Amino acid sequence: MHISRRLAIGTATIVTLLVLWPVLTLVTGTIDTGRFPSPIQFWQSLRQIVTVGYADGTLWQHAIQSLKLVVMGFVVAVSFGIPLGLLMGWSRRAEAFINPVFLLIRPIPPLAWIPLAILWLGLGDAAKIMVIFFAAFVPAVINTFTGIRMIEPHIIEAARMLGTGRSRLVMEVLVPGAAPMIFTGLRLSLQASWTTLVAAELVGAITGLGRVLNVAQTDIYPAMVLVGMIAVGVLGWATTRVLVSIELRLMPWLSVRA
Amino acid sequence: MDVNRSPLPSKVEAFFLGMAGLACFVAIWVAVSISGLVPRQFLPTPWEVALRTFNLLWEPFAGASLPVHLARSFERFASGFTLAAAVGVPLGLLMGWFRWLDDMITPVFDGLRFISPIAWVPFAALWFGTGLGGPILIIFSGAFPPCLINAYRGARFVDRTYIEAAQMLGTGNLRTIVQVLLPASFPAIVAGLRIGAGLGWQSLVGAELIVASAGVGYMMVQGQSNISTRTVMAGMIAIGVVGLVIDVALRQLEAFVRRRRGLR
Amino acid sequence: MSAIQFKDASRLFERDGKTFPALENVNLTVADKEFVALVGPSGCGKTTCLRMAAGFEVPTAGRVLVGGIQVPGPGPDRAVVFQQFALFPWKSVEDNIAFGLRNKNMPAEERRRRVSGVIKLMGLESYETAFPHQLSGGMQQRVAIARAYVLDPQVLLMDEPFGALDAQTRIVMQEELVRIARVNPRTVLFITHAVEEAVYLADRVAVMTRRPGRIKEILDVRAIRAAENWDRHERVEDVMDLESFVHLRTHIWRLLRDEKFALDG
Repeated sequence: MHISRRLAIGTATIVTLLVLWPVLTLVTGTIDTGRFPSPIQFWQSLRQIVTVGYADGTLWQHAIQSLKLVVMGFVVAVSFGIPLGLLMGWSRRAEAFINPVFLLIRPIPPLAWIPLAILWLGLGDAAKIMVIFFAAFVPAVINTFTGIRMIEPHIIEAARMLGTGRSRLVMEVLVPGAAPMIFTGLRLSLQASWTTLVAAELVGAITGLGRVLNVAQTDIYPAMVLVGMIAVGVLGWATTRVLVSIELRLMPWLSVRA
Repeated sequence: MDVNRSPLPSKVEAFFLGMAGLACFVAIWVAVSISGLVPRQFLPTPWEVALRTFNLLWEPFAGASLPVHLARSFERFASGFTLAAAVGVPLGLLMGWFRWLDDMITPVFDGLRFISPIAWVPFAALWFGTGLGGPILIIFSGAFPPCLINAYRGARFVDRTYIEAAQMLGTGNLRTIVQVLLPASFPAIVAGLRIGAGLGWQSLVGAELIVASAGVGYMMVQGQSNISTRTVMAGMIAIGVVGLVIDVALRQLEAFVRRRRGLR
Repeated sequence: MSAIQFKDASRLFERDGKTFPALENVNLTVADKEFVALVGPSGCGKTTCLRMAAGFEVPTAGRVLVGGIQVPGPGPDRAVVFQQFALFPWKSVEDNIAFGLRNKNMPAEERRRRVSGVIKLMGLESYETAFPHQLSGGMQQRVAIARAYVLDPQVLLMDEPFGALDAQTRIVMQEELVRIARVNPRTVLFITHAVEEAVYLADRVAVMTRRPGRIKEILDVRAIRAAENWDRHERVEDVMDLESFVHLRTHIWRLLRDEKFALDG
């Protein structure tokens, strides 16, 4: 049957890779463990960072630090980005006024803000949050804006016909109407937040998963690099799942289509 | 039909509003810079930045002038992006056609997707040092997913009737892929290339901030350590402009392909 | 007093930088509590007329008045039923219906009473907490009509409300609309391109010319309905079988064909 064949092949592939890993590193020596760790080295590093710690902290401490910054930057960016997107989507005048400045800022890749942020705010948390802000802000604005513009015009007309006041229009018509696109924007913002944070921590940080990666790189410790990468991936996946579950809870009428 | 009740601003009005917005932005910048709220070193005035950008066009900083740095960056970008496209697009098409290939690769791909391209930097440094391989790996990991996904979607969701027509005419697998699937997925592929280029360029910048000895990112890091905000901002502008040019060029290509197809 | 008056109403529209007249000197009065159907070839501007009465568009020349006052903008006194339903997909059936009443700051108790009254009227019992996507087209349109009705509007503007429904559902909705209209008559402007629907429902049928639209002819259906006693038949198909009905319908078809020939010829 279709589904189980897919599952079978997928599982088989992953299992194969997992088997090849120790074989190629430990048995045949095809992969130089100075460049890519064997499963044993990986496990040892994982144990090390979880128990004793590495780069001035345990895995937990580094993860919490990174997570903390991502969440803070994300929340600030989204708190500014969504209202701005709503305003620009609703008012053509506001859009005309703000657009040129926005177009100026937009092409600058979020990571390009890092040197400036370090210059202005040093190597601490504030600089990281600033960079995450710029990274997460843009997708939030654009997607909210598009979300408003994509609302079926007749729905807005119906709302006006029903005599809807301004605040109710925003809260009960515009925001729910744009919600699917707003959440797409949030997912992109979250992704951008993680990427930017890791980069910022790689450039300069005291703790955090990026710092772990940085130190492991300087120490020429590939096993720890792998641990760091997987930790980043797991946190990225976990935070995205949280966002998606919020999305599904808030928009039950969409999950039927999905 | 506009969203709200007020009349649409005319093109002229929109233009002036836009200018007003820009003017406000510049005015605030200049005001903060001149007033000394922030030390001049940290927030140069717009014209100081412009001047510096202009200077850097021939005056070397951190080893080379701005155009040379840009050329080095672009070189890496081009190599990494070409590789990503050359691997991603054919692979995506094949995955769209051969279901078993899709079943094999998608789980692995989905797993790796959450590791952002930047997280590959340490491995890139470990494996390639400051050589060309490092940035290429990073750019590849940024540009590859959109190229793959879009080619895959284009092939997978191609109109069944084209495939059936090809089969009816007795076309073999390879020929079907090259002469039916590929052209049919062209618009999707080009869109994927554009998105991949954007992500690739961004990843490059990130890579150069961390591990490089030349290139615009490197120039910016040097500017930062020397507390030359003007240089840093000049770098940001240069990166933004090049990124914009790449995006616009690919958008034109995309529009061209769509027009040829009669899509809107 | 809630008559709709179109006085020399004209409207231009723009496309690709050029202006075209959509309506030219439309003169029509829908008297208080009268049901007028507006028919015409596609693109003749009948929807534009409705939108001007609703306040979504403004005439470029002439005036559109409701209750003697020039239409200021959309409002619950001129309730609209859209062809595409335009329900809020994120609200349940009862929340959709209650929305307009909340805007009027109606106290909760009275609101509940009115909403359940209109739910019963439209046959929506047991669907109160359903969401629009869970309902068929016909049910959704019932909700849209309920939403308009609950406002107890002076004027009801219906823009091809049954256009998106299949033929059988359409007939059922037509019968229901007649039933409701008899119970609580109000001023109605009903847009349709289905001539039989217009003749079955309306007191008068106004026929428009092709673009730029203007009123070609107005037929008094009410007089014929009374004289031939159409109301003795409950079923739509029985009424539509009557000779007087067929004559009227054919006459309107001929008027519309004139317009079509003028277009092609």
